[in-house]
Amino acid sequence: MNEYTVFHTMAWPSAYAIYFFVIGISSALFFFSALSWFREDYRPLRENAFYASFVLLAVGGLLLIGDLSQPGRFLNILNPAYLNFQSPLAWGGLNLISFGLVAVLYFFMMRKGDEVNGKRLAIIGSLLALGLPIYTGFDLTVHQHRPVWNTPLMPVLFVGLSLVSGAAVASFLTKGSEAANSAMRRMMLWSGGAVGAMLISLLGTTAYGGVGAELTFMFLTSGTLGLIFIGLGIIAGTAVPIVLLLAPLGRQQVGMMTASVLILVGGMALRYSILYGGQILQTYY
Amino acid sequence: MTQELLMSSTETRGKPGVRRYAMVIDVRRCIGCMACQVACKAEYDVPLGVFRTWVPYRVTGKYPTVKKQFLPRLCNHCDDPPCVRACPVEATYKLEDGGFVLQHYDRCIGCKACMASCPYNARFMLPEHRTYTDITKVVDKCTFCYHRVIQGLVPACVQTCVGRSRIFGDINDPNSEVSQLVARHATQVLRPEQGTKPHVFYIGADRSLTDYGRAVYHKDEQADIERAAFNRNKHI
Repeated sequence: MNEYTVFHTMAWPSAYAIYFFVIGISSALFFFSALSWFREDYRPLRENAFYASFVLLAVGGLLLIGDLSQPGRFLNILNPAYLNFQSPLAWGGLNLISFGLVAVLYFFMMRKGDEVNGKRLAIIGSLLALGLPIYTGFDLTVHQHRPVWNTPLMPVLFVGLSLVSGAAVASFLTKGSEAANSAMRRMMLWSGGAVGAMLISLLGTTAYGGVGAELTFMFLTSGTLGLIFIGLGIIAGTAVPIVLLLAPLGRQQVGMMTASVLILVGGMALRYSILYGGQILQTYY
Repeated sequence: MTQELLMSSTETRGKPGVRRYAMVIDVRRCIGCMACQVACKAEYDVPLGVFRTWVPYRVTGKYPTVKKQFLPRLCNHCDDPPCVRACPVEATYKLEDGGFVLQHYDRCIGCKACMASCPYNARFMLPEHRTYTDITKVVDKCTFCYHRVIQGLVPACVQTCVGRSRIFGDINDPNSEVSQLVARHATQVLRPEQGTKPHVFYIGADRSLTDYGRAVYHKDEQADIERAAFNRNKHI
């Protein structure tokens, strides 16, 4: 044998990718529900999008706690004596909890039909919702030795992924409203286009990076991970839905539903491959 | 090092009045006996499948001029440790006097952010069951044998090293052996471009071992088999 090294495990397994996926959708759905206080075309989404957002928030929170090796200690993240504000995870924990609390208050205002407080909470909640994909992006960005992760693009990419995946789910919740469907189609097109542009940029900087980045590019574009990242994430989950939505079929219900399903598959595939892509190489070091 | 080069408030190398422990590993002296690895395992009851220190090797060259090159590895006790920044609950911290990067086991939530942030793979998750120790399911790593050093001893791996390949001491003391070795020899650190300012210095390390290298194109299947077996038993 010419070489020996011990094996290393990946720090963050696929549960994190699922968490990124559900929390991104949850924040976008809340944003759409909040927009309904200001834009009439979003009105059919107010209740449905909020309920779906809240359920996904709960699922995401449980996933995050469940993945800790000491789940009972998750409250440590709320202990002011322990908190380390240099860590994006600390900000993320606080963001998640404050978003959850605002979402509960928002629920009561929504049920009461309180226009003034509903709008206030919609704005506060939307800002906190925006913080969720941003902090998940920062979770990855701050690791300076990880190719693909360590780019300022990551928080923005996660916001884009959140909007496009959230719009895909919301398109199933419009109660058949023409105006809401059209709004979701536009949202999918614009955010999907932005995600596509960012992915091209990400691939470019990775391919032309240093040794680590170059090898990571190889992992991301070949083998099983290549199939997931390029095949499912970029082609089936980003390019095809955009083409479909631009075609006449995309204006019809069936075309939009197909695009939404593809976007969701692609959104999960992209998060999974970005999460794993940044970790594979390190396991051989 | 001059004060101007200190990039962050956590750095203590060259800081007056504090000790800054470091290890020098002269790989020309390493014979690959793995005694350091065994001593470490014995000192800490390190479970099967995980390591605080390990000694990978690579055979380089072409017959008849082949060479087996060892590169003992451990936590680099960085002067600017990314794991300390990444930990959301300050379970990982750096001691100012000594520069040890240590762990509060009772505070660790097991989010593995420190593992993700370490460029050296120095951290690992302790499994659910251990033979003699009840510290489980938290992240662990090399401590530079803090408990021994504060008693005036050297780390277990240094103590046991048969070829005196590993030398340990205070690099802030200009008369220490590590200071003199670093001053007199060309030394390498692992992944200097990451800005972590590691405090494990290598003498004679080959770049084929310190860099990623093209070996990744030809993955070590044995490591994959071992990793799969380890994960199948849900040790982590």
